[in-house]
Amino acid sequence: MTQTKTPNGFTLDDSGRRIALDPVTRIEGHMRVEVNIDGSNVIRNAVSVGTMWRGLEPIMKGRDPRDAWAFVQRICGVCTGVHALASIRAVENALAIQIPTNANTIRNIMHLALYVHDHLVHFYHLHALDWVDVVSALSASPKATSELQQSISPWPHSSPGYFKDVQDRVRKLVGSGQLGPFRNGYWGHATYKLPPAANLMAVAHYIEALNFQREIVKIQAVFGGKNPHPMWLVGGVPSAINMHATGSSGASINVERMNLVASVAAQSLAFIEQVYIPDLLAIASFYPEWFKHGGGLASQNLLSYGEFPTRANDDSNASLMLPRGAIVNGDLKTLHEVDLRDPAHVQEFVPHSWYRYPDDKAGLHPWDGLTEVDFRLGAKTRQTPDKIEAFDESAKYSYIKAPRWKGHAMETGPLARMVIAYAGGNARVKELVDGALGKLGLPLTALFSTLGRTAARGLEAQWAAEQLVEQVAYLQATIKGGNESTANTEKWSPTTWPATAKGVGFCEAPRGALGHWLHIKNQKIENYQCVVPTTWNASPRDAQGNIGAYEAALLGVPLADPKKPLEILRVIHSFDPCLACATH
Amino acid sequence: MADKPTFYDVFRQRGVSRRDFLGFCALTATYLGLGPNGAASVAHAMQTKPRIPVVWLHGLECTCCSESFLRSGHPLVSDIVMSMISLDYDDTIMAAAGDQAEEILHDIIRDYRGAFILAVEGNVPLANDGMACIVGGRPFKKKFEETARHAKAIISWGTCATSGCVQAAKPNPTRATPIHKLVDRVPVINVPGCPPIAEVMTGVISYILTYDRLPELDNRLRPKLFYSQRVHDKCYRRAHFDAGQFVENWDDEGAKQGWCLYKMGCRGPTTYNACATIGWNENTSSPIRSGHGCIGCSEDGFWDRGPFYERLPDMQQWGIESNADKVAAAGAAGLGTAVAVQLGATAIKRVMKRGDKPDASATQEEKETQA
Amino acid sequence: MKHYIPYHQLPEGGIPPPVTIYGPGVRWWHWINGLLVLVLCVTGYFIGVPPPSALGDPSSLYIMGWIRFLHLASGYLFALLAIARLWLTFVEKGISHHLFVPAIWRAEWFDGFMRQIRWNLLINDQPKRYVGLNPLGGIAMLLMYVLPGFIIIVTGFAMYAEVTGHDSWQYALFGWVTTIFGNTMDLHVIHRLAMWVMAGFVCIHVYIAVREDVMSRQTMISSMLSGERQYRR
Ligand code: HEM
Ligand code: HEM
Ligand code: NFV
Ligand code: SF4
Ligand code: SF4
Ligand code: F3S
Ligand SMILES: [Mg+2]
Repeated sequence: MTQTKTPNGFTLDDSGRRIALDPVTRIEGHMRVEVNIDGSNVIRNAVSVGTMWRGLEPIMKGRDPRDAWAFVQRICGVCTGVHALASIRAVENALAIQIPTNANTIRNIMHLALYVHDHLVHFYHLHALDWVDVVSALSASPKATSELQQSISPWPHSSPGYFKDVQDRVRKLVGSGQLGPFRNGYWGHATYKLPPAANLMAVAHYIEALNFQREIVKIQAVFGGKNPHPMWLVGGVPSAINMHATGSSGASINVERMNLVASVAAQSLAFIEQVYIPDLLAIASFYPEWFKHGGGLASQNLLSYGEFPTRANDDSNASLMLPRGAIVNGDLKTLHEVDLRDPAHVQEFVPHSWYRYPDDKAGLHPWDGLTEVDFRLGAKTRQTPDKIEAFDESAKYSYIKAPRWKGHAMETGPLARMVIAYAGGNARVKELVDGALGKLGLPLTALFSTLGRTAARGLEAQWAAEQLVEQVAYLQATIKGGNESTANTEKWSPTTWPATAKGVGFCEAPRGALGHWLHIKNQKIENYQCVVPTTWNASPRDAQGNIGAYEAALLGVPLADPKKPLEILRVIHSFDPCLACATH
Repeated sequence: MADKPTFYDVFRQRGVSRRDFLGFCALTATYLGLGPNGAASVAHAMQTKPRIPVVWLHGLECTCCSESFLRSGHPLVSDIVMSMISLDYDDTIMAAAGDQAEEILHDIIRDYRGAFILAVEGNVPLANDGMACIVGGRPFKKKFEETARHAKAIISWGTCATSGCVQAAKPNPTRATPIHKLVDRVPVINVPGCPPIAEVMTGVISYILTYDRLPELDNRLRPKLFYSQRVHDKCYRRAHFDAGQFVENWDDEGAKQGWCLYKMGCRGPTTYNACATIGWNENTSSPIRSGHGCIGCSEDGFWDRGPFYERLPDMQQWGIESNADKVAAAGAAGLGTAVAVQLGATAIKRVMKRGDKPDASATQEEKETQA
Repeated sequence: MKHYIPYHQLPEGGIPPPVTIYGPGVRWWHWINGLLVLVLCVTGYFIGVPPPSALGDPSSLYIMGWIRFLHLASGYLFALLAIARLWLTFVEKGISHHLFVPAIWRAEWFDGFMRQIRWNLLINDQPKRYVGLNPLGGIAMLLMYVLPGFIIIVTGFAMYAEVTGHDSWQYALFGWVTTIFGNTMDLHVIHRLAMWVMAGFVCIHVYIAVREDVMSRQTMISSMLSGERQYRR
C-alpha cells in the first residue's frame, strides 16, 4: 500500500518517512502517535495508538450496581466524576429511579465546576506550552508585558513589577540549569510566534492558573467531600441539606457551605473572563494558520449526547442546556436524533484494536459489548529486540476500540458541543462564539481546526462558569422554596429490584460524549461497557477503514522540523487526550 | 551547585521578608510536630539545600494522584515545582515529548545516579509480558526497572502504586502489581489513598527536604506522621457513633444532623488516613463531611471489600458473594433443621418401639459391634 | 482426682462407680466463661449491626460506647480465662486436658467417634459410656470452640490495636495479623465468622448436653456442677 482512500474521504499515503512521537506528553495516560511525512514534511498518514489498558469493564462484573460509580470514577482522575455521573445515571435508568430536583442541581453544579476546572488546566498546563515559548519570556520587557496585559483585560495582576518578579523567577530557574518541567522543551522552535511580552504574560498566567485551579474544585469538595474523586450516590447526592434547623452546622449543606460555593463560583467566572479568554484570544491572534490546520472530522461529523438537565429526570432536548444530536457530512442544518438504546446507533468495532470479538468485522452495541483483550502485533510491525519502532496499522494496533455512530466516525468534545448548540439556536452560545470569532475576524468554519477546537473549549469554559453561578442561585432558590430533599431511597434496597434490568447513562464529559451501558442480573452487574470521548476521538480504524478524529486531524499538517514535531502536539493537544479514559 | 536557588532564595525572590520566612519555618515546624528546635532546623535546611531532582513515572493509573498533588495549598504546588524540587520528568506536565522526553530520563539517571527521587503513580502490569502498558515502544515494566534501580528513594503515590487499586481488583486482568513488590534495596515510601490528600503528598516531600531523611514508616511502609490513625479515631461524627446515633437512610433526620455513617457502610473504623485531621482541599471537606461514608480508599484491596454501603462486606476476596451474617444464617438454618429432624425421629422411634424393651435391643447392638 | 487418658472406654455391662472428672477450676471456668461468651456474642453482634438509633443529645448518650466497653472488657477477661484454662490442664487433673488433645491416634477414639455419630443419627440405640469427653463432642469443642476462640482472641486484639494505636503493646503483639491481611476489614469479617461458629457450637452444645443428660447412660449437666460423672445402666 502506498495511497489509499478511506471511505470517510481521506487519502492516506504511507510511502514517506515514518516518525513516532512516544510518549505523547501533557496528556492523561499513555499514547503514541506515528505519522508518515512526504518530501516537504507534510503529514500524509497518521496512526493513533492507545498504549495502556486496565480492564475496568471485566472488573465490574459481579459487583453491586450501587458501588459501580466508585470503580468507574477511577477510570480517570482528570475528568474526575464524569464516569461516576454516567454510572449512577445508568443505574438509575436501569432501575427507573427518579432523583430529587436538588440532587439534579447539585450534580449540575459539580459537573459545571469540572468543566471550568478541566478546561482551564488543559489550556494553561497541558496546551499552552505548544504556543508559548518559556525561554523567550526571559527577553520580554516587563513594562511592555504590563501594557499588553492592561490592554486586553482588567485583571489586577498587571504591574511591571509583578511581571518582573515572574521573569526573575523564571530566569533563576533557567539559570540554575535545573529547568524542571520546562527541560528539553522545543524552545526556539521556528513555529513559536508570540512576541516575548506575550510569552511572559502567558508564563505568569501559567503560574496563576496553577495556583487558582485548586480553588475551583472546592465546589466539588463541598458536595462530594473531596476532589479529585468526589463521592456520589445512586438516587441523589450524599449531602443532606439542613438550612434552618438544629444541627445545621453539622449538615453537609448549610448557609456557610453555600456561601463558599457561591464565592468560588464567582471567582471562577472572573478568572475565566479576565484571564483565560483574553489570553486565548491574544495567543490565537498570532497563529492564524492554525485556524486552518487540524480540522479532521470536525467539518463533517460531530456528536454530542447533550448535558445539564434543567429539570430533574428529563433528558429530552427541551430540558438539556446543551442539546443532544449528531451532525453528519457537515450539514449544520440537520441535527440527527441520537438514541443510545438503539442497537444501530452506537457500535464499537475491534478489527484494529487489541480485543477479540466472535466476528471481528461486526460492530457490537455496548449492551452486547465484549472486552476480551487480545494483544497481537501485525506482520508489518517494525521492531528491534529492545523495542517496537513502528506499529502495523493494517493489523490490530491500539487498546482503543473504534466506536461509530450509525457507521460514522465522529468527533466529540467542546467543539462538537458548541457547534451543535450553535446550530440548535442556543442564544448564549451563539453570542459567545460570534463574539470571539468577530474579534479574530474569522468565519464560523474557522472553528473546524486546531485552534478552533481550543477556542471552543475556552468559550465553553466561560459558558460553564456563567451557568455555574446561575445553578448555585437556583439551588438556593429551591431550598428557599422549602425543598430540602436530596435523595430518593425508595429503590435503595436491592430487594426492591427486578431480577434483570438494563440501563444506559450518559453525560457530556469535558472531552465529549460519554456513555455507560449495563445489565443487572440478580442484584449484581452482569455486563458493563463504557464508550468514552477519547475512545471516539482517538479511535483507530474500523472494519471499513474509516479513520478517527485524531488521525484525520493530523493529515495535511506540515512539520517545520520532523525531529521536533511540535505541530503534532498542537493538533493532538487541541483534543485534550485522555488515554486512561479511552481504553479504561 | 552554588547558583542553584535555595528555598530561602525563592522566598526572597517572592518578596517575603526574613521575618516572614522564619515565621513560615516556625509554622512548618509546628505543623510537622517538631518541638522547640524544629523551626531552626527548618530554616537552616531551607537556606542551604539545592533542588533535588524528581522523576515522576506513570504506570497503570488514572492521573488523579497528579491532580491531587496540583491541589496542594501549603506549600503551593507552583512553589514546589518551581522552587523546592526539580521535577525533571513527569509525562503529565513536562514540556518535552517523545525522544526529547526520554533523553531527560537518560540524563537524570546518568547525572544523578542514586541521588534523585523516583515518584511513581500507578503500578506495573505483569500479564502479557507487561504489554498492557507500553511506553516508547517498550513495556513500562522495563522503563520502571531501569529507573528504579538508580533512585535514592521511591515514593509510591496513591493506592495504585501501594497496592494495585482498582485495576488490581478481582480478577486483576492485567496483573497490576504494586511498586514495593518490584524493588529491593531502594527504600520505598507508600503514600496510599485514591488519591492521597494533596497536603499529605507535599508534606512527605517537604519532610524529606527539610530533614534530609525519609519519614519514619510503619510496617506497611506508610509514613507514620500521616497514616498512624484511623479516620474513625478523629472523625467529627464520632460522638454520634459512641452515642449510637446513626444515619439509617440517606437524607433522613440523622443525615441532616450529621450523625454517624457507620450503618451506611462507613469504612472509617478500618481505614488509616488523615482525612479527618488534615482534610481535603485545604480542609474544605472530607468524604464523611459530604455525608457519604468512607470507602476505605487508602487500604489495601479496598475494592474487593464491598458492597461499600453494607457494614459487613461480601467475602469476595475469598470467592464468597455473601457476608458473614448471611453465611451464618444459612448455617443456622441447617443446624436447626438437623436438630428438628433428630428430635422428630427420636420421638417417632420411641412411639414405634412402645412395648419393646429398649435396653435389650441396645445391648444386642453393642455386642454385634464389639464382636 | 486421677488423671484420665483421653477417651477411656468403660465396660459395657453393669454400673461403674462414679468418677471425679472436673476439678473446681474447670467448673468455675466453664460457667463464668459461658456467661462471658454470651455477653461477647450479644455485644459483638451489635458492634457489627448496631441497634436502632437513639434520640437525644450525644453528650448524654453512650450506647455504642457501652456496648463496645462491655465487649472489650469481657474480651480481656475471655482471653485471660483462656490462658487460665490452659494452665488448668497442667494443675488440675481429671479430664481437663481432653479439650485440647483429642486422642485421634488411638483406634478406640475413632471407634467411639463413629459410634457417637451413629448414635446421633439414631442408628445405634445406646451410646457408649466414657470417662471424659465423648470423641465427637471433644472434636466439636476443639474445632468449634477452641479454634474459633483462638482466632477470635488473635483478631480481637489485632482490632483492639487499631483503637490503642500503633505504639501500643497490642500492636506490638498482634500488629502482624493486620499486616498479613492488609485490610483490617478482613479481621472484622473473620472475627465475626468465628463468632457465628462459636455461637453455633453453643447452641448444639447446650442441646446435646440436655439431650445426653436425659438419653445417655451418664450424667452431664450435674457433672459440670459437681465434677463427678455418674453412670446408669
Ligand atoms: C456460652 C456458653 C458455653 C460455652 C462456650 C461452653 C463451653 C464448654 C466447654 C469448652 C466445655 C468443655 C469443658 C472442658 O473440658 O474444659 C464444656 C463442657 C460442658 N458444658 Fe458447656 N459451654 C457453654 C454453656 C453451657 C450450658 C448453658 C450448659 C448446660 C446446659 C453446658 C453444659 C456443659 C456440660 C454438661 C459440659 C460437660 C460435658 C461433659 O462432661 O462431657 N454448657 N462447655
Ligand atoms: C467469644 C468471644 C468473642 C466474640 C463472640 C466476639 C464477637 C465480636 C463481633 C461479632 C464483633 C463485631 C465484628 C464486626 O462486625 O465488625 C466484634 C468486634 C470486636 N471484638 Fe470481639 N468477640 C469476642 C472476643 C473478643 C476478644 C477476646 C477481643 C479482644 C480484646 C475482642 C475485641 C473486639 C474488637 C476490638 C472488636 C471491634 C470493635 C469495634 O470495631 O468497635 N473480641 N467481636
Ligand atoms: N475522554 C475522556 Fe474523560 C473526559 N472528559 C471521560 O469520560 O478524560 Ni479523563
Ligand atoms: S490511586 Fe486512585 S486516584 Fe491515584 S491514580 Fe490510582 S486510581 Fe487514580
Ligand atoms: S462516620 Fe464513619 S468514621 Fe465517623 S464515627 Fe461514624 S463510622 Fe466512624
Ligand atoms: S474514602 Fe478515602 S479519602 Fe479518606 S475518608 Fe475514606 S480514606
Ligand atoms: Mg469500553
